[in-house]
Amino acid sequence: MSASTTQDRHREVLRAIIGLAPDGVAYVPSASIAPIIDGALEAQANGDLALVYPVSREEEAMGLVGAYPFAGKFGVIIMQDNGFGNALTALTTFAAAYHLPLLIVANTRGGLGEYNSMIHSISEPVPELLRSANIPVFRVDRRNPPEDWGATVKEAGNHAKMTFRPVTVLMEFYDHKDGKAKA
Amino acid sequence: MKRIEALRAVVDATSDLPVIATCAATSRELASIEDRDNHLYLLDAMGLAVSVGTGLAQAIEGSAVLRAVVIEGDGSLLMNPGAALTAGYLRPENLVIVLLDNGVYASTASIPTHAQQLDLGRIAEAVDLKVLQVQNTEELALALRQTLSENGPWFIHARTEPGNEPGIELLLIDPVVHGDRFRRWLSQRLHA
Ligand SMILES: [Mg+2]
Repeated sequence: MSASTTQDRHREVLRAIIGLAPDGVAYVPSASIAPIIDGALEAQANGDLALVYPVSREEEAMGLVGAYPFAGKFGVIIMQDNGFGNALTALTTFAAAYHLPLLIVANTRGGLGEYNSMIHSISEPVPELLRSANIPVFRVDRRNPPEDWGATVKEAGNHAKMTFRPVTVLMEFYDHKDGKAKA
Repeated sequence: MKRIEALRAVVDATSDLPVIATCAATSRELASIEDRDNHLYLLDAMGLAVSVGTGLAQAIEGSAVLRAVVIEGDGSLLMNPGAALTAGYLRPENLVIVLLDNGVYASTASIPTHAQQLDLGRIAEAVDLKVLQVQNTEELALALRQTLSENGPWFIHARTEPGNEPGIELLLIDPVVHGDRFRRWLSQRLHA
């Protein structure tokens, strides 16, 4: 096992995103997934990803990436789970309502290892919020080995295309065995 | 000009281009002029038209479909102004945003918007969109011709009168069927 399982998880998730060959990747920042976003930008510079770009708010990403399937294309959104509140109207009344496949890869906050005293108020109910809106949720955490994180992201992307809808992967980075793990 | 007159000018210029229309009354009036397969109506996705148009512009780049046209309102743009920033940041040359600015939320009882005091064209200019100001249907038709032949990203700032056209029917569409109609129309042209 390498020095940091967290770094391995970042690497596997990035590899899975690249493997899906998305036509665009939109991101909203988060410290705990900064290595994935930086890696995606590097992959764009190397020609391994087509287009990687920031959005000002999560709902924008739902419109941008949600439009791709009309032209037979597919995109990925990288974000943090506290942004699902911002995203929900666009995610439901556009991407879900029009059956537009897209993949959202989001880190979780507000759980074990959290250092902010109010973020759990939005992050904790996110899985139920999404499921109650018929948005599928797949989760990975410290109990999943890094390759399973990658496999989950890859198959969630395929699942979005197979089922013609937005699909989310929630990644909980807390790991008591790894000092580099951040909430 | 009235909004429906502006929409007629857009319809006249866009028979062969994807047109994404913002919420409620704007989409309904557009459909009442002609409910064409190249129209995508966003009946409830508030403030999302510019984002969807920018994404579509990316997705059709390099294809036989030369422009993605967005019809947005002042109130709707103000709900998601970051969309204009991202359009300015990404600079899709094939994006044409037509802002129908009547200074009110016409679909919701004509409550005034920020556009009564703020110039949304100047905001668009500040984020590097190419802005054309138009006051009437002749100027709008000319502006559309220019944006369809010269590279953007374009932002046509069209001033319209407040109010909705009376007697327009509701758009009772199944979004899946509607979206699929648009997708089929587009895919035929993408591979033409
Ligand atoms: Mg208005």
